[in-house]
Amino acid sequence: MPFVNDILNHHSISIVGLEKNTGKTVCLNYILRRLNDLGVSTAVTSIGVDGEQTDSVYATAKPEITLYEGMRFITSERHYLQRRLVSEIVDVDTRRTSLGQLVTAEVLCRGKVILSGAATTKVLSQQIDTFHRQGVRLTIVDGALSRLSLASPTVTEAMILATGAAVSPNLQQLISKTRFVYRLINLEEVSDAARTSLAGATSGLWALDGDGVAHDLDIPSVFLLGTENGDIFRYGDTLFASGAVTDRLLKYLTARPNVRRMVLVVRDFTKLFITPEAFAEYTRRGGRLQVLQRSRLIAVCLNPTSPQGYRLDSREACSQLTEALGTPVYDVMQV
Amino acid sequence: MMNVKSKINEEQGFLYVVDNLELMSAVGRRRLMEQQWLSSAGEVEEELRRVADAMAVLRDGQYASSVALIRHKLMELHDIVGTLRNLRGGVTLTEVELFEVKHFALLYGDSVRAAADIDCLRFDCRLDGVVALLDPDCTGMANFYIYDSYDARLAPLRRRLKELQMHHEPDPEAMTAVADLFARQDAIQQEVMERLSRQLKPYVDSLGQALEQMAYADVLLAKAGQAIAWGLCRPQVVPSSEPSSMSGLFNPRLRHHNEALQLRYQPVDVAVGSGVCLITGANMAGKTVLLKTVGIAQMMLQFGMYVPAAQACMSLVDDVAFCIGDEQNEMKGLSSFASEIIKISSTLQRARRERLMVLVDEPARTTNPVEGKAIVHAIGLILDRLPSVTLITTHYSQLGLGCRRLRVKGFVEDMVGGELTPQNINRFMDYSLVADDSDEVPHEALRIAAILGCDEEMIAQALGFVG
Repeated sequence: MPFVNDILNHHSISIVGLEKNTGKTVCLNYILRRLNDLGVSTAVTSIGVDGEQTDSVYATAKPEITLYEGMRFITSERHYLQRRLVSEIVDVDTRRTSLGQLVTAEVLCRGKVILSGAATTKVLSQQIDTFHRQGVRLTIVDGALSRLSLASPTVTEAMILATGAAVSPNLQQLISKTRFVYRLINLEEVSDAARTSLAGATSGLWALDGDGVAHDLDIPSVFLLGTENGDIFRYGDTLFASGAVTDRLLKYLTARPNVRRMVLVVRDFTKLFITPEAFAEYTRRGGRLQVLQRSRLIAVCLNPTSPQGYRLDSREACSQLTEALGTPVYDVMQV
Repeated sequence: MMNVKSKINEEQGFLYVVDNLELMSAVGRRRLMEQQWLSSAGEVEEELRRVADAMAVLRDGQYASSVALIRHKLMELHDIVGTLRNLRGGVTLTEVELFEVKHFALLYGDSVRAAADIDCLRFDCRLDGVVALLDPDCTGMANFYIYDSYDARLAPLRRRLKELQMHHEPDPEAMTAVADLFARQDAIQQEVMERLSRQLKPYVDSLGQALEQMAYADVLLAKAGQAIAWGLCRPQVVPSSEPSSMSGLFNPRLRHHNEALQLRYQPVDVAVGSGVCLITGANMAGKTVLLKTVGIAQMMLQFGMYVPAAQACMSLVDDVAFCIGDEQNEMKGLSSFASEIIKISSTLQRARRERLMVLVDEPARTTNPVEGKAIVHAIGLILDRLPSVTLITTHYSQLGLGCRRLRVKGFVEDMVGGELTPQNINRFMDYSLVADDSDEVPHEALRIAAILGCDEEMIAQALGFVG
């Protein structure tokens, strides 16, 4: 029963896919089955819409989410009324989504359900807190499409990454793309002192000086970064971008003469919207990337089948990915 | 139909009052927005009496836990208006809607018990029948599903479902059987929901009244809470033949702003009756604030709220008409003068039919002083013979109007000590009003411009022209 015991060390985990059809739902069903066997009090919620019976992009059959007696879940009113399980409504959230109000329910007799959830990670965090207060040991968040934001350590304590043939039918490309995200997830954390200094830096671009003191560079967004902002390195070579970081900033930094001494700090890996190429060039020139808070990656799961029907050799793919990442990779259909 | 919602954006200070009512529920907020303009003394006095009773409850420690419980219940209150509309229309309610009705009925029951000895909160609907229908197993919990006890076929069907799904990977035959059982369950559940909806329909009026009572309780407690926290007073309603008089009148928004900055705030005494009262005074003497505050107090009164004064005797009006500020509407191609004069004109026409409170701030100030003065004269003459209560601020002298005049005292030389700056100028202002027999207005504009540090040459030249 790989990695399930590790899950139990956390109150909340997210399951995120690198792409659509990377087997998030298969992975979630595997975990739910094991948790039911272990008798762990569990709740499931989601962000956006997931668990459709057929995939809305490729119209391929999708495994449904199976929930067991005693488990709690949140879904939209529309999907609640379509469920194929016996459950009791515990609460209804007055905030409406496009699919109606959010219904919290407890399963009385196992069955299947379509999960659709809140649109924001803020609501998600509140749901996790509520479940925790109600004595739920573990809340699992199922992500929609390839949204990574819920894997932010500010939302869930730990994450499971789903990858697979849907990312690329070419094993080497799949390995390369997965390894890139894996590297971002495992970016080095800043020191405790730096984290404390940057605690109040909620927006814009900041600098850390040699004494670890944070200075606001008065650039409200890194997208506004240009030559007219003065010397952004006047306090030192360490910068903190509180919001999203794209290739544009990385390329800007890569072109600076002090790039080899440079440290760019981001909040967490979900704030990075960068390509492997820009990241490689920045690090090759000596630049370093750090996070305020690192996500705890519990496992990497692989779906060897792509929605177009292409199938990788599961054992070979898991083995090569395990070696490339240095962490175990599982095909949950095989375990 | 005039209600809070239609008046809320007419004056920022009134919006501030409404926004600072500590409402617990969306239902309460909806109820407040729908609160009608109270036009009879009886209605106003009845509402003020309830607010007074609610204040007594809030101040009495013995009710603290009951009030806290009711407020907690109000926070949990969902707006089930849509569900009740469906029920009334004969629509079969969904499980989610049935949950909401049950949740509400239980919550109302808890509130009834909490308010048992609180007379001003009237919860007198009987929803026991609703609870009995939606809580057949007498759990007392708001949780809801189509319980086994609703239909004898459900329990064996669900038992069979459990048996078939005992194994992780049921065989295809079992899966077909499971699908079939779910379909049968859905059909039975649908029958139950149809039956429940029919059985609940006779309660729809009681449910609606109960929801309204909860909403009203929220509004009442919020009004009472604000009256206590802000030190508002219960106004005495007087006939329209008598003047309204308010002592210690304050503008809540400005007062709180000043207090936050540790600046002085001076309440004022004012009396206004039918006819026109001209308000004069130096610039920065608070004439516009006075107009707005009188208007806010009148609106609060007529929505059944305590008013921001130490003492108040107030007559009722049919509406408050604000003619304040730059009404320029470039989108309609209107200049500030055009916008203002159109607004004043329509107000005059209304004032011939209704008893209004008309608040006009420096009318015709954006046109030439000869015609401007004539316009103010005409407005004053017309309104002075109508029953409306009119306040007009002006800087024009010698208008020749025989109406009442009040002057803001303004700068008090004796109070000036140390350096006078734009930041501390309000410390040297006396905002109180005095009766003024003269037809002259204060000439302190250049002095104030100097205090504000304006261009010296401009001031020197202007002084030369004034002589």
